Amino acid sequence: MADAALTAVTQPRARVRKPNPRLWLSLTWILIVVVAAVGAQWLAPHNPLEQDLLLERLPPLGFSGSEASYILGTDSLGRDVLSRLIYGARIALAVALAASFAACLTGSLLGLAAGYFGGWTDRIVSRFIDIWMSFPPVLFAVLLVAVLGTGLGSVILAIAIIDWTRFARVVRAETMVQSRMDYVYSARIGGATRLRILAAEVLPNVLPTIAALLALEMGVAVIVEAILSFVNLSISSDSPTWGSMIAEGRATLHFAWWVLVFPLVVLFLTVLSFSQLGQGLKDQFDPLSR
Amino acid sequence: MTVPTLEIQSLTLGLKGGARLLRDVSLSVKPGEVHALVGESGAGKSMIGKAVLGVLPPSVQTLSGSINLQGNQLDALSPAARRQAVASVASLIPQDPLTALNPSRRIGPQITDRLIKRLGWKADDAQRRALELLDRVRIRDPQRVMASYPHELSGGMRQRVLIAAAFAPRPKLIVADEPTTALDVTVQKQILALIRELQQQEQTAVLFVTHDMGVVAKISQRVSVLFAGKVMESSDTADIFSHPKHPYTQALIMATPRYTHPDEALRPVPAELIAQLQREIAADDRGAAHVR
Repeated sequence: MADAALTAVTQPRARVRKPNPRLWLSLTWILIVVVAAVGAQWLAPHNPLEQDLLLERLPPLGFSGSEASYILGTDSLGRDVLSRLIYGARIALAVALAASFAACLTGSLLGLAAGYFGGWTDRIVSRFIDIWMSFPPVLFAVLLVAVLGTGLGSVILAIAIIDWTRFARVVRAETMVQSRMDYVYSARIGGATRLRILAAEVLPNVLPTIAALLALEMGVAVIVEAILSFVNLSISSDSPTWGSMIAEGRATLHFAWWVLVFPLVVLFLTVLSFSQLGQGLKDQFDPLSR
Repeated sequence: MTVPTLEIQSLTLGLKGGARLLRDVSLSVKPGEVHALVGESGAGKSMIGKAVLGVLPPSVQTLSGSINLQGNQLDALSPAARRQAVASVASLIPQDPLTALNPSRRIGPQITDRLIKRLGWKADDAQRRALELLDRVRIRDPQRVMASYPHELSGGMRQRVLIAAAFAPRPKLIVADEPTTALDVTVQKQILALIRELQQQEQTAVLFVTHDMGVVAKISQRVSVLFAGKVMESSDTADIFSHPKHPYTQALIMATPRYTHPDEALRPVPAELIAQLQREIAADDRGAAHVR
């Protein structure tokens, strides 16, 4: 009988892992965007910058007056909407990746230091975060780009400078929670140094949170880039961006809705996918929610 | 006469800013002996263990007294030397098995890390020692458990793993901080028996923190009864149950429910006694402040 009781105690629970539609759907869309960005010159049916005033405002396929090679129609300068969307994916992704990683690295390092070492380190970092977050982010971005000058580099830099606080705040809180766990005490009693505890015990448990934030931040970066394009403060107008397409499409909404709607849908799906990916990643990798 | 593994002399701890947490605590634990620290929540039992292991919160400071662990005067050492001195001879069995294992690391390295990285064992030896101990705490299929993550194990199993991890480095002293409080009663009994068995086989000195007089009777040879950070009474376990000298000890023993008398009402420690003890301690504190 005692043996039976022991068996029950020592039988590990089987790991059940359900496929996660949220994760897979969003990954699929992001993959489509990545393929579009990487293979733009082969995938795009037309030169995204080529203007042809004879073909202006062609409706998308299936509407009267459409042309077969302009699947999503043309804008008011006769440029192919689909090709511009495909090339726009390049800038959107470049900004999403570079800006989020820069913000993530800065914010997470500061957050880890503040949460783990506490004391003065924490006080200084926390005050910085408070001050930083009291600026309205979009206005801050516009100001920064105005100062730094337009261009891909300044957009990325501006987003990283503004959004590191998102990482710092959350990572700091999570680090504080993890640092008070009993296994950190055990490691200290076992003689591990503070840096080793931070790297081996605390960081692995904060990583799922960082990964989720990173995916969310990519969505935010895409939006901020679109906003800056919308107010003409992003990349010069000879490279197509989703934001500038939306800005141009706004003027012709009443008689050429497709110029506005397609970039909006693509932007929406991309941002949604990044945020869902963030949540999905957290569900998948957080050891406590497994 | 054996040399004690742990000797604490007149240890007084306080918060920065004044409040006393421990008052003039002295105790010693010999090799192979289990010394129980008993008292209610906030009496300072866990604080003693933390002071020995060097993991006091930063807001707590040592006001006076000394701790001698296996011949090392801990308070005389530099922080790094102290960490090394503690790491090489002392272990902790923590209270909550759910938060005491790192959820993102496999069990194996969580046991062997300390052996290899701090105590300089060969990886093979550490591995063998870990498997041996998992076997001795009655874990079936230790190989598989070593490769598992904590969330794949039940609470009772994790507590066994923690016991194995505590005994693995052949410590001279183990601080057991209410190791059975988070477990249900049937598992509690098995865990106590395991600690007792390993401790006797390895001749380890144990500082056993608990609030349960029943546990004290089962596991310890010596007891110190604490109230408000002060030792009320310290003696052999057998004596304390047959002839409790201090009124607080008597009240604690009276308060323990008896399985033989299931119908009798609970008898909590009388409020007048607590109030009186608190007055005495406050008077002592004023006296101490006056002397200084």
